[in-house]
Amino acid sequence: MGIEVDFKTCYYEKKKNSKNKKNIFTLNAKFQAQNELVVLFGPSGSGKTTLLRCVSGLMDPGDGKIIVNNKLYYDTDKKINLPVQDRKLGYVFQNYALFPHMNVRKNIEYGLKGWDKEAKEEKVCKMLKLMDIYELENRYPSELSGGQSQRVSLARALAPEPDILLLDEPFSALDMVIRIKLREKIKEIQRELQIPILFITHNPEEAFTLADRIVVLHKGEVKQSGTPEEVFHNPKSSYVAELLGLFNIFDDTIVENYNDQSKNSILMSGNMQISTRDISLKSNDRVSLGIRPENIYISNCRVENRDKICSLDMSKYN
Amino acid sequence: MLEQVWFPISITLWIAIISSISVLFIGVIISYVFARRDFRGKWLAEVLITLPLVLPPTVMGYLLIILLGKNGFIGNLIFALTETRILFTWQAAVIAAFVVSLPLMVKTTTAAIEAVDQELEYAAYTLGRRELETVLFITLPLAKKGILAGFILSFARAVGEFGATLMIAGNIPGKTNTMSISIYSAYQAGNNELANVLVLILVLVSLLSIALTGKFVNNMKYGV
Repeated sequence: MGIEVDFKTCYYEKKKNSKNKKNIFTLNAKFQAQNELVVLFGPSGSGKTTLLRCVSGLMDPGDGKIIVNNKLYYDTDKKINLPVQDRKLGYVFQNYALFPHMNVRKNIEYGLKGWDKEAKEEKVCKMLKLMDIYELENRYPSELSGGQSQRVSLARALAPEPDILLLDEPFSALDMVIRIKLREKIKEIQRELQIPILFITHNPEEAFTLADRIVVLHKGEVKQSGTPEEVFHNPKSSYVAELLGLFNIFDDTIVENYNDQSKNSILMSGNMQISTRDISLKSNDRVSLGIRPENIYISNCRVENRDKICSLDMSKYN
Repeated sequence: MLEQVWFPISITLWIAIISSISVLFIGVIISYVFARRDFRGKWLAEVLITLPLVLPPTVMGYLLIILLGKNGFIGNLIFALTETRILFTWQAAVIAAFVVSLPLMVKTTTAAIEAVDQELEYAAYTLGRRELETVLFITLPLAKKGILAGFILSFARAVGEFGATLMIAGNIPGKTNTMSISIYSAYQAGNNELANVLVLILVLVSLLSIALTGKFVNNMKYGV
């Protein structure tokens, strides 16, 4: 069960009649997750939406494979590329993408093709109730607020009972109060349906409040994938740390060891010297050093409890 | 007099209706392909379809004669199938009207389809709908203003078609004398009375179609 993504795809300049097309973007996506809420986190242009479109089948993922709930969506080796329509997925777009010429009920019904009338009716009622939009049933999308639109959009995506739910920055245009309410709703839905949910955001707070697992993307590369705790307390690179917006980061810090066997080192950056213990570092290496603001103590005397001084980010510099 | 007025009106409307309905269906298909697909030689196809808009009607007529005439490829094909010649029949006038009004339909409809947010089509796909269903129930209903405008423009253009029609359908009384051609020949023959009546009717038909476009387009809001 869950989702497995592993593909690599290159996008080229759209220039006609030229043989040396420039590669403008490479997306190298690789991560696995259970039936849990996965947040794809990264700045604009990091490939989040492209990744989601590839999983959905709206874009071509190039080389590799995508498996959702043991169903092969895409596999270059086996030459399988399931059309979007057969992937059984729910997709929520950033701009809601509600059909403007249909009312709320018709919008929600649209994915229930082939259901008999009673089942359809029942499902729509259930969705209206779940998303708390009963009174909007007969309205048209132009008569809805942003928050209401996104609820309808979620109801529409969930109505056909999808195997996976994909959300592309669904709450970025909404105000704080509604955003928090809808986040709760998403968590509730995940607990109830037990399907994998891929959720895109560039907002660190949203990422950490929602995620069971975070996949950090940068320039088309998966930089780190893990539980929010792992990513937060143990960022694997200065880039991830910076993205979390949590550290004072000192690049180009020089390591000085007491001796070669020692695991105690002194890190020097400008006038600052910080001693570390139990981390293997080589003398004269250059590393990035990050200090969490909450771990900084100002004191007149020497601090006894040295463990409280942490340097958490130790990616090696080339 | 009545017959002299009635025949040009009926043949003109008949030709315009058949040509604009064909333009509607074929134009919508071509426009969808132009708006949503990329293929080799797309620019050439676009140029060829737009060309009648700028070419002099006589040139269009001449090219059609080459294609539809005795030695023309399509002319021979039609002769092989039906053992009749198509030049100087009302069907030839339909072809002339079709060719000159197609670019009007394609230009307006392509713009209207391009203006439909593609995310809506994607949303329909993710909800399990195939491309054809999506076109019929999402794209075209949302582009209906532009399609209707294109349809009425094509109809008006077909009603007023003169040059190409004269060249490939001629001016055969009781057979191919459309309104605009009858006006020309009535004037040449000094029959100003007939010319005046036909001009008046033609102006009314054109005014009506423009008024209709405005009315429909303004009244059509989504879902209402």
